[in-house]
Amino acid sequence: MKINCNDRDRIFLDGSSEEWAGLEQHAGTCAACAEELRAWKQLSVAAEEMRDYQEIPALWTRIESSLRQQQAAPAPRARFWSSLDFWRHATTAWQSALVGAMVVALAVSSGYLYSHRGGSLNDPGNKLLKTSALAEVERTEREYISAIDKLAADAGPQLGKDTPLTASYREKLLVLDSAIADLRAQAGENPSNAHLRKQLLAMYHEKQQTLQDVLETNR
Amino acid sequence: MGSVELTLPWEDRISAAVRDGERRVEPFRGKAETIRTSDELPQDAAVAAACLSGNLQGYERLYRWQGTRMKNLARNLLSSQSDAEDAVQETFLKIQRSISSFRGQSAFVTWTFRILVNTCHDLRRRRARRKDQVNEDVDELSPRMELRAPGSHPSLRMALERALAKLTAHQRDVFLLYEVEGFRHAEIAGMLAISETASKNTLFQAKKNLRTMLEPPRSSATGGAQ
Repeated sequence: MKINCNDRDRIFLDGSSEEWAGLEQHAGTCAACAEELRAWKQLSVAAEEMRDYQEIPALWTRIESSLRQQQAAPAPRARFWSSLDFWRHATTAWQSALVGAMVVALAVSSGYLYSHRGGSLNDPGNKLLKTSALAEVERTEREYISAIDKLAADAGPQLGKDTPLTASYREKLLVLDSAIADLRAQAGENPSNAHLRKQLLAMYHEKQQTLQDVLETNR
Repeated sequence: MGSVELTLPWEDRISAAVRDGERRVEPFRGKAETIRTSDELPQDAAVAAACLSGNLQGYERLYRWQGTRMKNLARNLLSSQSDAEDAVQETFLKIQRSISSFRGQSAFVTWTFRILVNTCHDLRRRRARRKDQVNEDVDELSPRMELRAPGSHPSLRMALERALAKLTAHQRDVFLLYEVEGFRHAEIAGMLAISETASKNTLFQAKKNLRTMLEPPRSSATGGAQ
């Protein structure tokens, strides 16, 4: 086979045994190809140096132990799907009967929900507070405001101190006051909105807690 | 200067015994692998069946058959003996977890090594993240060198390891699987989810790059007499 220098890379890439023999023959008369061929083969020889097939006896013991543990504790997902295995073994008649039963159960429960909540579904105020609940919320808010005013009076001297901690508390109280003001404005426009009222109570609670923390640091 | 560090004076470092192996060129390698593969096919199927049955003895057979090879590949990919052992253990656990998904579309060993390579990549990424977290001033490309078997050539191995660390991960995978572990391109293609041609091209590029990195600079070779 007639091989020249231009064939070298192609043979390195994917040469047949005849082409390799031809390249060897060509390398006998071409110093450049001889050098390239030598270096190419020596890479394979060097790679053998990275082969170390020494046994590590303890490794199998470790692997076996972890395999046993894994085998003893199947994954929750696997348990769930295996619990549905009965379905595959049920006859077509049983499968049809079960599907029918599920459809009937779904229809009955949907009908029940519609008849008992149908009216309220059309009522946009289903998330609004009823009068009695609103009175209760407003009473709780008043109690919070009263407690916060007392705490704020007690914490006043402590908050006046110029320390990094009190500065941080002041900053937090400012943020809370701002949020409370926003929520109160919104609640004023829509007093029966349960979500707004809930958020407002959470803010009051947070402010009360912060003021108590300020007083705690003083002690 | 980096290339000087990596320079490998081949003739000095390869012993006569190792140099005898130079005859192992590609055509020879192809024949040897054909024999190996046809010999191992029944064993591959038997081990796969044993593992599929859920019997731990199946996994033990797999370990006795391929364990040292798996550990060797993992160590070369991770440059750490302990990480390699962790990777092999994790691979066996993954095999056990997903053995039911093995459909026999490839050889069981090919499937096993695909899991191993992916596990090693995951470990490498985790290790890199750990390094980032502790802000270690370690060159990512330089692998941790560890002692090897007494008969090995430390300088030869270290030079190749350093050069391998500078290849792309893909080139490193293909080089190690083909040149060190002796897999065929068809098997590597199955492991890395690439085509056989891509495997050949990647190996060619990897060897070209290694050749450039490991070859002594021509100027120093000619100027050595100074």
